[in-house]
Amino acid sequence: MSDPFTNLKSSMEKSVFKDFSFSNERKNAVKEAIRISQSQPQFHSWKIETIIAILESVQHESKDGYTISTQLFQKNERTFQKNEGQLYTLLHLLENKEILTSNWINKKKYYSLNSKGKKYLATYKQDTSKQELSLNHLLEEASL
Amino acid sequence: MNGLKQLAVTDESMVLEREEIIDQLMQEYSDDILHLVYTYVKNRATAEDLTQEIFIKCYERLHQFNQQAAIKTWVYRIASNHCKDYLRSWHYRKITLSDKILDYIPSKSKQVEEEIIANSEENILTNAVLNLPLKYREVVFLHYYEELSLAEISKITTVNINTIKTRLKRAKDLLKDKMIEEV
Repeated sequence: MSDPFTNLKSSMEKSVFKDFSFSNERKNAVKEAIRISQSQPQFHSWKIETIIAILESVQHESKDGYTISTQLFQKNERTFQKNEGQLYTLLHLLENKEILTSNWINKKKYYSLNSKGKKYLATYKQDTSKQELSLNHLLEEASL
Repeated sequence: MNGLKQLAVTDESMVLEREEIIDQLMQEYSDDILHLVYTYVKNRATAEDLTQEIFIKCYERLHQFNQQAAIKTWVYRIASNHCKDYLRSWHYRKITLSDKILDYIPSKSKQVEEEIIANSEENILTNAVLNLPLKYREVVFLHYYEELSLAEISKITTVNINTIKTRLKRAKDLLKDKMIEEV
């Protein structure tokens, strides 16, 4: 018994798929769509200051997202103003990178510094010159 | 501090890398995927649109790709699922199907066209396969046209290997009946 499908590939190539390939215009349309999807969300470019502000706010005790958000606001860190959801994206990212750890207590997720996070914070404080820090202080006071 | 700076930067370099991967996937598989999609939807323009969507989907899901699987099977699986979603969609069922009803109303130009297409042997086989019910058409195409192994087809369609064997056998029987009918 011969297999009726043996010639399927050549048959289809000669008939229904003749001159039918995924054109360069179509490929470029895909690349274009990818580029647009990238340029829209700006979430990826976090400022170092924002990250540090979060690390600082949880360095002594664990806090839930809402408390962190309020503290950032008090510290005049406005990255997440009117865009609070993004804070949770960043918290999640930091958690994935093992800079933060979390605990569920009473249906709330409490974040705290991991050993890796503590190290980052310490190095950051050493690296930045005192001048710059005091300048930041000044700026902060000026904007209050 | 470098660590955190990297954290801010890696996403950017990953974006470029992902773009590169999609580009390569398109060079390698886009025609095969296009043809696969066609066997599901049987319309060139729709097949091109869906293929475009499939590669965008691959880009969005690239981080979910599990390194243990072959990327080829992963792309095929996304393609196959995307087509099935389309065939189930409201748009397809309500709009495309009502267009199809027009096909049953005889029109002279169409008849002529079909006669020209239908007479070669290649076309008889191709049309017979395209007119098989979806579950047979899918495995026949993946096995004989895309030349994938039963194990690969099983991963793409999440159908058990023995079921695939049965479907291939059943498809052969269906085809033979049809060919006899036509001759």
